[in-house]
Amino acid sequence: MALDPALHSAVLAALERAANTALDLSPHSRRELAALDEVVIGIECTAPAFSVYVQPTRTGAIRLLGYHEGPLATRVRGSSSDFAELANAADPTATLINGGLELKGSSAPLIALQGVVAGLDVDWEAPLVDTLGDVAGHQLAEILRGLFRWGRYAGSSLTRQLDEFIHEEARLTPPRAEVEDFYSDIQKLTQQADRLQSRLQRARARADRLLAAQPTTAANGPASRNSEPG
Amino acid sequence: MADSAMSDRETTHFGYREVDKDAKAGMVGDVFDSVATRYDLMNDLMSAGIHRLWKRFTIELSGVRSGNSVLDIAGGTGDLAEKFSQLVGDGGRVVLADINASMLRVGRDRLLDTGVQANLEFVQADAQYLPFPDDSFDCITIAFGLRNVTDKDLALRAMLRVLKPGGRLLVLEFSKPTNPLLGKAYDAYSFSILPLMGRLIARDADSYKYLAESIRMHPDQETLRGMMEEAGFSRCEYHNMTGGVVAVHRGIKA
Repeated sequence: MALDPALHSAVLAALERAANTALDLSPHSRRELAALDEVVIGIECTAPAFSVYVQPTRTGAIRLLGYHEGPLATRVRGSSSDFAELANAADPTATLINGGLELKGSSAPLIALQGVVAGLDVDWEAPLVDTLGDVAGHQLAEILRGLFRWGRYAGSSLTRQLDEFIHEEARLTPPRAEVEDFYSDIQKLTQQADRLQSRLQRARARADRLLAAQPTTAANGPASRNSEPG
Repeated sequence: MADSAMSDRETTHFGYREVDKDAKAGMVGDVFDSVATRYDLMNDLMSAGIHRLWKRFTIELSGVRSGNSVLDIAGGTGDLAEKFSQLVGDGGRVVLADINASMLRVGRDRLLDTGVQANLEFVQADAQYLPFPDDSFDCITIAFGLRNVTDKDLALRAMLRVLKPGGRLLVLEFSKPTNPLLGKAYDAYSFSILPLMGRLIARDADSYKYLAESIRMHPDQETLRGMMEEAGFSRCEYHNMTGGVVAVHRGIKA
């Protein structure tokens, strides 16, 4: 059943508002987005199923559209986990090539948008100062910044240590290089199997042609023998 | 003799009443003079803010982009014109037109107060006799205005005339709910709660009684699509919203 356009618009309006509020607090991201003015990126999520068109504006805000008929710079399709992987990727180009996303059109606007999302650096000080005043707002912003910095450091440190423990200490999963070698070997084996299969097909086709020619020779054989004088 | 003279005159509906065709515009004008200052507040209250979502979807359907020229007929307090003004940018043009001077004044003051003016013009105009040259606009919108127009066919033909070839007309208007149960609840709301809200907030129950009646007298989705095709629009289609309480019709000038 198709979603009522009003309901769809409500969801998009809420997301758009949240995104633009965050962008308001990150002037650097707004400038980067403004460079993508008039570009429309179509995003189709397969699980959960929904589609949205993202259009940055000349003021560096984001428009989220449920309906768009004009030309698209990029259309990208995949599951929510594929999009999450792209959003957090250190190398979005590699993720687009190796990940599960299907891409049509130019990848440049999508990579630029990913750069804005990944580099979103929200400055909470402005709204806090507006609400609490210069001194208290600044102090609270410093505390929050420290907490975020510590959280980010602790998160990356934990990820690195967990990664090392899983791969090296507990050997729960093989290291990345080993997996890549294994995939490379599989790929080689697949290619060799494909080649072998095509050779077999060619050989079978040749054998069929020879067999098809055989009855003519067989039919001629006895006749030629009969024609010989006894 | 007098009866015969009355029957010879052309009539139209004003809510559930049959009135002289020449008198309708003045009567509608009185309604909007009465509600102009509290129009936005009443819209938010009556629709619980959903009218913003209906308008948002209409803007998406319009496909308006940088450099376009847009005419917003019956633009009232200018919420659509404000968005269009941002979309078309400095190279574009938005004309906010309304037949009612009170509504236009409220819209103009509100937009000037919010700093929207560079690409915006304000015109007091009747939708039936649009004072613009042929092929002037890339997009025309009329939101919750067509049902108040005396001769809708004449207005649709006027809009076709001033649209550029390939231009779009979008008519956002109350329509007929697709679910009978929703229809009954909607009727109860329109005829009991709406006039009460009108009396309490806008101090004008009659105007909101007219609103409910005029919605019931407005053509349903299929009829309006037929009228647009009859006027000469191509690829006419409509999208129901909120169960058909509102529909947005779109037609293209071939």
